[in-house]
Amino acid sequence: MLKEMLRLFKKQQNQEPPAKDKVVGERTDLKEQQFSSNLQENLSVIRTLYSIPDNKDVKLREMYLEGFNKNAALVFISTITDVKSIEENILKPLVENTSANKKVKDIVSIQMVHEVGIFKDAVKDMNKGNALLLLDGEAKAYILDCPDFQSRAIEKPETEVLIKGPKEAFNEKVVANISLLRKKIKNENLIFESIEVSQRSHNDVFIVYIRGLANEKLVDNIKERLGSLEVNAIQNLSLLEEYIEERNYSLFPSVLTTERPDRAASFLEDGYIALLMDNSPDSLILPATFWAFFHSPEDHYLKIHYGNFTRALRMVALFITIFTSAIYIAITTFHAEMIPPDLLLAIASSRERVPFPAVIEILIMETAFELIREAGLRVPSPIGPTIGIVGALILGQAAVEANIISPIVIIVVALGGLSSFAVSDLSLNFAVRLIRFAFILCAAMIGIYGMTAFFAAGIFYLVSLKSFGVPYLAPLSPNYKSSKDTIFRRLVKNEKLRPGFLKTSDSQKKSDGA
Amino acid sequence: MKQNKGKIGIKEYIAIIALTVGTKLSDDTPSIIFENARNAGWIAVLLMGAMAIIPIILLIKVFSAHPDKNLHEVIIHLFGRFFGNILSIALLLAGVASVTVDTGTYVDIIGTMYFTKTPTSIIYMVLMLVCAYGAKRGIEQIASVAWVLIPYLKITLFIAFLVSFNSGHFDFIFPIWGEGKMEIVKSSIKNVSIFSDFLFIGLIAPLVVSFKDFKKGTIIGLFIVVFEISLALISYVMLFDYTTAELLNYPFHETIRYIEIGFLPNVETLFFPFWLVATFIRFSFYLYLSAILLGGILKIEEFEYLIPLITIIILLLGLAPDSPSIYLYIMRQKLLMLLSPAFLCLPPLMWLIAKIRGDFKNEAVQESS
Repeated sequence: MLKEMLRLFKKQQNQEPPAKDKVVGERTDLKEQQFSSNLQENLSVIRTLYSIPDNKDVKLREMYLEGFNKNAALVFISTITDVKSIEENILKPLVENTSANKKVKDIVSIQMVHEVGIFKDAVKDMNKGNALLLLDGEAKAYILDCPDFQSRAIEKPETEVLIKGPKEAFNEKVVANISLLRKKIKNENLIFESIEVSQRSHNDVFIVYIRGLANEKLVDNIKERLGSLEVNAIQNLSLLEEYIEERNYSLFPSVLTTERPDRAASFLEDGYIALLMDNSPDSLILPATFWAFFHSPEDHYLKIHYGNFTRALRMVALFITIFTSAIYIAITTFHAEMIPPDLLLAIASSRERVPFPAVIEILIMETAFELIREAGLRVPSPIGPTIGIVGALILGQAAVEANIISPIVIIVVALGGLSSFAVSDLSLNFAVRLIRFAFILCAAMIGIYGMTAFFAAGIFYLVSLKSFGVPYLAPLSPNYKSSKDTIFRRLVKNEKLRPGFLKTSDSQKKSDGA
Repeated sequence: MKQNKGKIGIKEYIAIIALTVGTKLSDDTPSIIFENARNAGWIAVLLMGAMAIIPIILLIKVFSAHPDKNLHEVIIHLFGRFFGNILSIALLLAGVASVTVDTGTYVDIIGTMYFTKTPTSIIYMVLMLVCAYGAKRGIEQIASVAWVLIPYLKITLFIAFLVSFNSGHFDFIFPIWGEGKMEIVKSSIKNVSIFSDFLFIGLIAPLVVSFKDFKKGTIIGLFIVVFEISLALISYVMLFDYTTAELLNYPFHETIRYIEIGFLPNVETLFFPFWLVATFIRFSFYLYLSAILLGGILKIEEFEYLIPLITIIILLLGLAPDSPSIYLYIMRQKLLMLLSPAFLCLPPLMWLIAKIRGDFKNEAVQESS
C-alpha cells in the first residue's frame, strides 16, 4: 500500500506545470495571427481584441489616403497617447500627402516608426501608448511612437528628507526616472535593460547597471530571477521585492528601496544594480548590506564630522530603540542592585501604586505608542495633529494619574519610540521595532542573560545572512577591500575603492593622487 | 541547508583565539594557577606562554608540510589509520570533557553570581541552545561574530582592569617570585594545558585563508592571550591579595562586583553581557571543533549535523554533578593536569614522525618547484 501511495505521490509530483504562456481569458489564438492584406479583416480582429466599441478609450479612425489611393485605419488608446501629436504629426501629413511613391516612414513626423507582422506585437505596442496604422493591401502594420501616460511631476522626496543635497525624487513614470539617472551618470555604458515580468499586465522592469563595472554574473543572476517569474501582474517594485528576495521570512531587509535618484546613482557608480519600474516612485538597489540601510546620503553631503556625528547618533538611536525598554525590565526585575539607591527609591516610589509588573506596563505603553504611530499615519491630515496631542499628552498623562503606568515607563518608551524615528530606512525601522519586542520578552523571562543570549544568536544570524551572495555585514566582516564606509565614513577623497564584495571589474574609484 | 565552506581571514582567526583562550581569565583558571604560584601567578602565565611556544611552533611546522589537512587528517597521516584514530578519539574525549567541564563552570558562574534563583538546567539549556545555533552556522559565521564584537568585548575588559588597577595596591604583587621559583615552574608545567586549545585550533588550520596567515595568527594570538591573562592575574592580586584571590573561585566576577565606576556602585551587570557574548562565541567554536573532530573520525562529510548530538551529550553530562562549584573545579584541575603532558608531548612527537617520514623534504621540493 505504501508503495502505491508513493507511486501516486510521485505521479503527482511529476505532473506538468501549466504552460507558461497560457493565460485563460486572453485571445491567444487571435494574437498569434498574421496581419492579412485585407484591411477590413485586420480591423475586425482588432475590434474583437479590443472589444470596440465597448472599450471607450480605444479609438479607431478610418480614412482614405489620396496619395496612396488606399483605405487606411489608425488605432490608438486615446488616454495613453499624445493625441495632439497624432493629429499634427500623423493624421495631417498622411491626409495631405499627394505623392504615391513616398513610404509611411517618410510621411509621418514621429520619432520611431516600425513595422510588425503579427497581432501580438501590435497589441503589445498599442498597450504601451503607441498608435497602429493599417493600410489596405499591406500584410503588415506600422507602429507609430507617441505614448503619453499621465503622471505627476518630479517632486521633492518625502520619505528620505535631507536638508543638504539634491531635492529631486523619483516619480511613477519610469521614463522620468531614467532621465533623472542619466542626468547624473552621463555615460554610454549606463544600461537600462527591460524585462517583462508578468504575463497578463505586461509589466516591464528595468535593470540598471553600468556595463564594464557591475559584476556580470550578478546581472545575469538577477535577469534570470526576473525572467523566471510566472505571474499575472506585478504592479510595482514594492511587490516585486518579495518575488526576488532570498529569505522572505527574514526580519531583515535584503533589498534597499530609495526614492532619491542621487542615492541610486551613487550606488550604480559603485557597481550595484538598480531596478526601476513604472508605477514605482522609487528604485530597488541590490545587493544591499546592513550599512546601506544604516546610511543616509546626507552623511556624505555634510562635512565629515557633521556626517559622522549623525551616524553616531543614528547608531545610538538604533541601540536605544532596541534595548531601552528591555533593559528597564531586566534591571527593575532582575538586577535592581545595579541602580544607584536614590534612583532605585525614585523608581520604586513611582511604581508603588501601579498594579502591573514592569513587563506588562512596558508592553501596554509600547503597544499604545505603536498604535498612535500607526493611527497618526493613517488619519486624514487635518485630524493628524489632534491624534498626536490626544495620544501623547492626554493619554500618557491620564494613564499616569490613573496609576496604570508609572511616569518612568513613559520616559523609557518615549525615548525608545523617538529614537526609532532616527533609523530612517523604513524596512530597517520595522525590523528594529519588531526586534525590540523580542528583546522585551527575553528580558522579562531571564533578564540580561536572556537578552544577551538573544543578541548573540541574532548576531550569528545577521552574519550568516546574505543578500544576492553578499554577506550582510560586509565589508566589516567578512573583510573585503573597500573604502571602509561602515559605521563612520572617511574623507570622500580617501574613499578610493569600490566595495570588494560586489566583485566589480574596476575596483578603483579614484586615482591615488586624487 | 548547505553551509558555506568559506575561509576565514587572519583578523577573524586572531579574534577567535583571543576570545576562546582569552576568556579563560574570567573563569576558575586564575584560581587554579594561584593555588601553586600564589601572587606570582602572572609570571607563571608568562612562563606557560614561553613553554607553549615550543609545541605550537612544532605543530605549525608539521602543518607547514600539510597545509590543506586539518589536525585529524594530519594525525591519521602520521600515525596510520589505527593509531591515528585512537589518538583522535582520545583527543575528542579530552576535548568534549573539557567543553563539558567548562560549560558547567560557566553555567555555575552565571548561576551563583548573577541568577541565583534561576534553575541551573534553564541557564544551561539557553547557553547550549545559543552555542549550538552559532556552531551550526559554521566557522565563517563564528569568526565573523568574533571579529565584529571583539573590540567591544576587549574594551570593556580593559576598562574593568583599569578600574581595578586603580583601586588595587601595587605592593601586593611582591614578593615578586611568590612562593619561590620552583613553585612557579611546577604550577606552569601542571597548567600549561590552558593553552592546549591551540592544539585543537589545528582542526581549522586549512580553513584559514593561507598558511602564512595561520602561522602569523597563531603566534600573535598566543602573545595576545598570554599578555591578557597575565594582566588579569596581576589585577586580581592587586585587588584582593593572593590569599583571597586564591580562595575566590571566579576572581573576574568578584572583581567586577568589587569595583565601582563613578556614581554606579554595582557595575557587574554592565560587564556581564559582554562576558556572556564572549562565552557564547567561545563555546560555539568549541562545539564546532568537536563536531569537526567527530565528523573526521566517523568520516561524516556534513559534520554540522553532529552538532545537536554533541550539544545534547554535553548538556546532559554537564548537568549531572551535584555541587558544580567544587566538583567541576576539581575536574578541571585534573583535566588540565592530564592534558598538560599531552599538549607538551604530542606536537614534538608529530614533528618527529613527520621528520622521519620525510614530509618536510616534500615541502622543500614543493617550495623550490
